[in-house]
Amino acid sequence: MPMCCQPVMKVSLVWHTPNPERTIAVAMRRCYSTKPIEDIEVELEQKGREYWKYLLTRALQDKSLDVFEHYCLELLIEDTPEAEMRRVATAYPFIRLLPLNGRDWLVAMNARTLIEMWRDEIHKPFASTIVERLNANGTSPVFNSVVFGV
Amino acid sequence: MRVKLLSHTELEAVKHVLRVKNVSFDPSQLLDHVVYMFEIEDCSRVTTHQLVRHRLASYDQESQRFSSASREGFVTPPSVQSNESAMRVYDQALKAAYQAFESMIALGVPKEDARYVLPNAIKTKLVMTVTAKSLMHIVWQRTALQAQWEIKEVVNVMLNLAREATPELWTKIIER
Repeated sequence: MPMCCQPVMKVSLVWHTPNPERTIAVAMRRCYSTKPIEDIEVELEQKGREYWKYLLTRALQDKSLDVFEHYCLELLIEDTPEAEMRRVATAYPFIRLLPLNGRDWLVAMNARTLIEMWRDEIHKPFASTIVERLNANGTSPVFNSVVFGV
Repeated sequence: MRVKLLSHTELEAVKHVLRVKNVSFDPSQLLDHVVYMFEIEDCSRVTTHQLVRHRLASYDQESQRFSSASREGFVTPPSVQSNESAMRVYDQALKAAYQAFESMIALGVPKEDARYVLPNAIKTKLVMTVTAKSLMHIVWQRTALQAQWEIKEVVNVMLNLAREATPELWTKIIER
């Protein structure tokens, strides 16, 4: 099929970790705090989004990408050939695929994998389509802005 | 010890996609697609050392470089607690270790080095994100008869919370 006629991969968000940025911030604070989780959550709510932004920026700067693993995504990816999906899944072993029919897939991944994919020139177009979907849905605006600059 | 389920994949949302796409629901195929995030508090480092050996999960644990050990923050196994003489030995050992830790801090040794004398009995906290598939493997191994009592307690609570949240996935524990 000529390039101009290839269907465009369509991404829908099936589920994501609720309150993603606060979840990432909770994971960061867990390492440095002796407080019970409820107290950490209250502290993060009180300090607000600017503080979450600071923590996420810090995690990126320190290359502490493990905290982003707690932000999980369940996606429906449509109109994508098996070869393309297998190529991505082989490159990123923490991606889980469930073939639905022909060219449609349930895809589970976490935000760390998304970041690594986005930083890789080969897989950046794939990651960008997911980031565009997050952005269009208004999901994790602080994360999107800190990590992808969108 | 306390375990709290912080979030989990909404199975209904996934099942909705399957219905729309005319794909039959097979719980065993979704084990990789459902994740749980837990907070585990006040179990010993003995237990978390065992837990983090299960590598297909994400962990963030309270760091001893930054947080302070407290004299109250130790776990005592029932076999020690029920034996008066053993309890005395245990208590003396913990006191000595904690005093050594505090003395070194007072002498200017950084926490990251003073912590070398702290015992495995010290209480800790962590967050853990894990797929149903990986959790099922952990349950299979860590609730077995020969498993150690404390991790068995922790994992049994995790199992109950996961089962309550997504009962359709936990009708049987599949050996993996």
